[in-house]
Amino acid sequence: MSAPRVEPPGPRVKLPERRGNDPISASVLGHQPEALQAFMKLYGRLWSHGILPQSTKELARIRNARTLDCGI
Amino acid sequence: MLRFMSWLPESGPGRDDFARSFALRPDLFEAWKEFASIFWEKRLVDPVLLELCRLRVAQLHGAAYPLSTRMREATEAGLDEPKIARLASWWKQPGFTDLERACLRFAEQFVLDAKAISDEEARPVVAALGDAGTVAFVEALAIFDGFGRFCRMLDVQPREEPA
Repeated sequence: MSAPRVEPPGPRVKLPERRGNDPISASVLGHQPEALQAFMKLYGRLWSHGILPQSTKELARIRNARTLDCGI
Repeated sequence: MLRFMSWLPESGPGRDDFARSFALRPDLFEAWKEFASIFWEKRLVDPVLLELCRLRVAQLHGAAYPLSTRMREATEAGLDEPKIARLASWWKQPGFTDLERACLRFAEQFVLDAKAISDEEARPVVAALGDAGTVAFVEALAIFDGFGRFCRMLDVQPREEPA
């Protein structure tokens, strides 16, 4: 007899009800669309207009995600 | 003439060393200001609650620049200096609401070890702020934490130009 399946806990904040196809706006960040828009503007400039090599930024991004054990 | 208080060998225009440091990347600075101000201007989180957490995060970083500033929205909403003076030991001080204590505990864990935030620590924050408020609160914490580190790593110090 197998053990009952234990569902992993969900996120602490529910996902927004109105969700599009974009994975970021469909995430919990979609609860604050104005903040998300401002963040994406900042993040976009960081990646698109920066003076650091993309590879350096990507290494730092991945290293940070691993340090925080953040799967996204 | 005031010395530029940072490790950076050059600086841009600005009224203080934080602005003069960030002004080296003016396009990023503008976008950052837009993002960072939205939480205050749109009142996405109560400004007193937010300011207490901003200052507590700065205390944990030992970041002098953010500790030297006050957000006008919070001051106008009633946050006073005696309460800020008690913030460094808020857990044993009077005058903090249950929600402020829950958010300060959450903010400290965000800075010290975000992986270790427990459901018990998160629950009262989410219950009080709601889903949208909690998202705004955590985004704001990310700004406070990130730019506290920015100021520490670049040794940005508070030093206003004389009037």
